[in-house]
Amino acid sequence: MAKIVIMGGGVSGHTAATFAKKWLGKDHEVIVVTPNSQWNWIPSNIWVGVGQMQKSDVVFPLAPVYKKAGIDYKQALAVSIHPEGKADSDTPYITIESTEKDTAGQTEEVTYDYLINATGPKLNFDATPGLGNGEGQMGSHTVSVCTADHAVHANEELQKIFDKAKAGKKQKILVGTGHGMCTCQGAAFEYIFNIEHEAKKAGVRDMIDIKWISNESFLGDFGMGGLHMKVGGYVVSSKLFAESLFSERDVPWLIGAHVSKVEEGKAHYELLDGTTGVEEFDFAMLIPPFSGVGLKAIAKDGSDVTSDMFLPNGFMKVDAKYDAGAYENWKASDWPRTYQNPDYANIFACGIAFAPPHLISKPATSVNGTPINPTPPRTGMPAGIIGKAVAHSVCDLIKDPNAKLHEASMAEMGAACVASAGKGLTTGSAAAMTVYPVVPDYETYPGTGRDTKYTFGEIGLAGHWIKHVLHHMFIYKAKLHPGWTLIPE
Amino acid sequence: MEHEKNFQKHDQFTLTMIPGGFAKKMRTCLIFQAFRFAVLNVKMLVVVSKSH
Repeated sequence: MAKIVIMGGGVSGHTAATFAKKWLGKDHEVIVVTPNSQWNWIPSNIWVGVGQMQKSDVVFPLAPVYKKAGIDYKQALAVSIHPEGKADSDTPYITIESTEKDTAGQTEEVTYDYLINATGPKLNFDATPGLGNGEGQMGSHTVSVCTADHAVHANEELQKIFDKAKAGKKQKILVGTGHGMCTCQGAAFEYIFNIEHEAKKAGVRDMIDIKWISNESFLGDFGMGGLHMKVGGYVVSSKLFAESLFSERDVPWLIGAHVSKVEEGKAHYELLDGTTGVEEFDFAMLIPPFSGVGLKAIAKDGSDVTSDMFLPNGFMKVDAKYDAGAYENWKASDWPRTYQNPDYANIFACGIAFAPPHLISKPATSVNGTPINPTPPRTGMPAGIIGKAVAHSVCDLIKDPNAKLHEASMAEMGAACVASAGKGLTTGSAAAMTVYPVVPDYETYPGTGRDTKYTFGEIGLAGHWIKHVLHHMFIYKAKLHPGWTLIPE
Repeated sequence: MEHEKNFQKHDQFTLTMIPGGFAKKMRTCLIFQAFRFAVLNVKMLVVVSKSH
């Protein structure tokens, strides 16, 4: 009997665990280690953040789902990986620390034959002074929609702003990224337009100034260098469409911005041209930068080999080309295909946990030397596909140690993304987009780097319906209800 | 020309494109959007199938 341990129960880890168990059956053991007791459909957090959904609409408890699937579930934080075992044993293991109420803080060693790292990101609020509280958590000056609890808090604060606006007091809202190296601009993009939509519904739009701040060098970059699509016989950049959305909704923007410090009601920033400034706000939702979760890697002799297994940003090394060098040398083939760790063939990383070889967007640095560019996004669809491919590889390796690994390069897969711009059955809207491939391949698709037959975007009510359908469909799938395998990642 | 007012609201908006009345109406026209819902689903399924 082989033992697969999956660290993380988000989109990628949950997909890997559930498919691995389905394919392996009772003959092998699948263990999920995740500090969370609930699964969260993160794309809908923005609706919780404007009061259009409750927390209970976007989360569900993991334990009953894993019990039904026959997956061993440990509510705990993964702390360290010991890929060579220890002095008196060659069996690899991880150490975990319980986050359950009754056993919180207790540590345990969990051995494995195959390890899948799907830990997702650490929300690195403290990278920006004042954005964090100095203890790794969100600070008190801004809000976030990165977790369901954050979104609940964001809505509570937002409603206070609406109340003040209704009382005749002019308010200023700032939404965007809280550091020069952030990713996940899409969530902030959705949140700002949902706020704008709700402010209109509440009749207070005239009393609220709304402004965007982000590290993108142009609107519509989204961390993937923007995209081009065919519209009206032209092939046009996402920049045109993003600027149109902001202009139509009277939302000015500040781009190429690194938020360097946050204080009560103030965001200090530096721009690509080196100038600095301060943006005042009454309410701000600033996405934090992501880093790895801080796992340690320990060799058999007890020495710390974290820097061998992980990049300095905390993400795990896989089969990517990490020495590609300057932007001019970047190729689609730099991106990983199997997500296998180069040193340990029984360790894989998927979702946000794997280390990308480099940015997707063109790198940019301010004249003061501050890097200000979006880091690569790894949205739900690629994360799910990669998790499934990794699970498939592990299952095949269990049956045949020489099995060919499954591949899922982000330079060969597309992504479908629906960015909400307001909720409402007949009044809502969303930008429905697909991009193919996620990472531009300028050798295969000279010019735009992508296949414009399969890269498109459109805003309208239909997009909102699709986002709503996806919300219910993916929660249904994650709960492993009948037919869940028929729903694609 | 209500939709054209925004061009003047901020310097950044002057050189962008802003949808006119017809484009905005079609975004919430139930019949047209029901058709687009079907089209978008097919287009997304094609991309999804190419990615697995």
